[in-house]
Amino acid sequence: MTRYLASRLAGMAVVMLLVATLVFFITRLAPGDPAAVMLGEQASAADIAQLRASYGLDKPLPVQFAYWLGELARGNLGQSIFLQRPVTQALWERAEPTFFLTLFSIGIATLIGVPCGIVSAVWRGKAIDQVFSGFAMLGASIPSFWLGLILMQIFAVGLGWFPVAGYGDPGVPLSDRLHHLVLPAVVLGVVNSALILRFTRASMLDVLGEDHIRTARAKGASEPRVILHHALRNALIPVITVLGLTFALLVGGAIVTETVFGLPGIGNLVVSAVLRRDYPVIQGALLVTAGLYVLINLAIDLLYLVVDPRVSY
Amino acid sequence: MLRTTQRGELLRRALRRCRSSVAIAPIAVAAAIGFASSVALAAPPKGGAANIAMIGEPQTLDPMASTADLVGTIMLHVYELLYTFDANWNVAPMLAESLPSISKDGLVYTIALRKGVKFHNGREMSSDDVLASLKRWMDMAPRGKAVAKEIKSLEAKGPNAIVITLNRAYAPLLAHLALPNGFAAIMAKDSIATPLTQFVGTGPYMFKERKPDQYVQLVRFDGYSSRHEPASGYAGQRVALLDELRFIPVPNANTRVEGSLSGQYHFADLLPVESYARLESTPNVKAVLTAPFGFPYLVLNTKQGPLVNVALRQAVQAALNDADMLGAGFGDPKFYSADPNHYARNTPFYSMAGTEFYGKGDAKKAAALVAAAKYDGTPIKILTSQQYDFHYRIALVMAENLKAAGFKVDMQVVDWSTLIQRRNDPALWDIYITHSAVLPEPTLTPPQLGDGAPGWWSSPAKDAALAAFNAESDSKKRGALWGNIQSVVYTEVPYIRVGNFNSVTARSAKLEGYVAMPWPFFWNTGLQK
Repeated sequence: MTRYLASRLAGMAVVMLLVATLVFFITRLAPGDPAAVMLGEQASAADIAQLRASYGLDKPLPVQFAYWLGELARGNLGQSIFLQRPVTQALWERAEPTFFLTLFSIGIATLIGVPCGIVSAVWRGKAIDQVFSGFAMLGASIPSFWLGLILMQIFAVGLGWFPVAGYGDPGVPLSDRLHHLVLPAVVLGVVNSALILRFTRASMLDVLGEDHIRTARAKGASEPRVILHHALRNALIPVITVLGLTFALLVGGAIVTETVFGLPGIGNLVVSAVLRRDYPVIQGALLVTAGLYVLINLAIDLLYLVVDPRVSY
Repeated sequence: MLRTTQRGELLRRALRRCRSSVAIAPIAVAAAIGFASSVALAAPPKGGAANIAMIGEPQTLDPMASTADLVGTIMLHVYELLYTFDANWNVAPMLAESLPSISKDGLVYTIALRKGVKFHNGREMSSDDVLASLKRWMDMAPRGKAVAKEIKSLEAKGPNAIVITLNRAYAPLLAHLALPNGFAAIMAKDSIATPLTQFVGTGPYMFKERKPDQYVQLVRFDGYSSRHEPASGYAGQRVALLDELRFIPVPNANTRVEGSLSGQYHFADLLPVESYARLESTPNVKAVLTAPFGFPYLVLNTKQGPLVNVALRQAVQAALNDADMLGAGFGDPKFYSADPNHYARNTPFYSMAGTEFYGKGDAKKAAALVAAAKYDGTPIKILTSQQYDFHYRIALVMAENLKAAGFKVDMQVVDWSTLIQRRNDPALWDIYITHSAVLPEPTLTPPQLGDGAPGWWSSPAKDAALAAFNAESDSKKRGALWGNIQSVVYTEVPYIRVGNFNSVTARSAKLEGYVAMPWPFFWNTGLQK
């Protein structure tokens, strides 16, 4: 187990170094210039060159890369060109909405996906299965921006139950800020529940056909006990994998939903940074996201140990 | 050419971003449909906080560091200028006591400063602050640097006056000092630093907090020293009625519309034109149409490539159908006008000089010009971006027009950041598309009227026409002199101004006293309870 963990962590370090290199060079090789974006339409080429030099962007790429890696080794992700604050601070400020949005969305997706998946599997081929399968297809096909705008029109503009967008006025309590997350969380929850539903259904169908289920029934176990205790527990591993991956994706920022609902999360930060070529922010955000992704994957693998005693490392 | 939905998307994207980085807000004869009633008869109430939905996060909060309108619009509440514009776009004093006294040769401007004006740190403004601010502006602001070339010296004349001495007569000086875009903000000398970390001005609102992608929060400055003349445009009395202004970045234009309709935003900037009817039919929201707001224009490369040949540039101009391009770009004629004259009929700079060359899509004439110019078939590289969808649509029509006249075309569609980088390299393009706004002083935009802007237009005729215009301070004579410049632009074709387009904004019916001007402002504006 210790050896397994050590090898995973060592692998992680290699992955992170690769990500750092790729992110740096891909970002810099893309055309575009933060200085030109900063200065606006009326700036001359000389103004732009001067500003580029002041950010060190005129230095050769390997020199910039070495400097960035050096700073990275000291835990410094650099300074945002546009936000006038360190990248770590900018990321930290975005962590709260993204974290809660992820949590709520996963919660909603699980609450919809797992029970519906179980019901679909148990009543396979029946009307209820068709309905849920149809829902899954719909959920997987609906663009999140469209669903977002529709929910916004009904529940925010029409009924006035929720705010249209944003993350609360200055100084409002956490509960108020979380109120702003309800509609986006529902959007992401519905869209992501489709995959969870399909995986739960497929996995349950596999398990329900196995011998130990027949044995359990033969022993006289009640149907709910057979399904929830014997089948579901065994069917959970693929579901946990999907949940974990969805969680990791959402932590990296639900770009479209965050943009539609004007949420100041990680996704929004990355999009605006890319459009402006705010290199330190793009690099920092992608690196942190990649790190989280790798860590969450590790956490999922460790979770298998808890869920399934047959698994050992 | 366009289906309604395409047009909708086109304008949505176009207007969403048009003030973010390119455009400078327009002189706009604020046609302001639906705003006439907004000038309330009774004084608007005091107190409350206004949520103002803007098109994105400002590039910076340093008003000198960027020529983006977003920056100017927000910081105009914090910083003031020596001069500003009134409702009729005349230059009017703001921190200056009055209009300057100008020596007979037009070279020496003596500007008396208002006494007793307090900065947000409580200190009184003096000529030291003004000099330090103007020097910073001339050192670092793109506009300031251009003005610096005209200035011989800048000196204090006691604590309450400054003297600007010019190298040669330069009539646009006051307009430059008044324009709230990349602007000559007067800052407390002790707060000046680069980058700017404290925002200490004299405006009716003080900077409180910036949370990127959430808001820029400004609060009322109780020690504000207002002018006493009646309010007119940006000039005259300013009263901070609202306790607090929150400029909220909402990049998604639909979200800005829905937020206005739900009442979450009290003001929403630059909305898609197809939302106009919906806004109009909602009782608690007022739609505001500002016309004209800006103009799309095509820059031609006069330094390198086939279009160095002026005859070929004239062929391009003849080949293009400007009205078709505008139709593709903006859809409903309510939102654009195919005007060949660069300035509207009711402005001092109205002229029809050279407009016989305004593009009507005459492929035959263009083909004859192409043949006469001995075009060798080198493809014309068109640089455009889909970030502003109307740029792209205009480029599509342009490409077809050019092909019909016998040009070969190489369309290069890139993102906006790439375009504004590549246009600085003359080897990479022949024509690029951008847009600007109609400004009160003609030489303020497009930058091709100055030196060194992409396109690198330089000619004796340009220099002569601009020198005559800049040296003349009599506004009546300047109108005719502008006609000469317009004529040279039509003859030498360094850029092609396609026409004008309009903008849509929305305000809550509760927001009283709001006056529609191109850079929205919220002093003298109150919120009904």
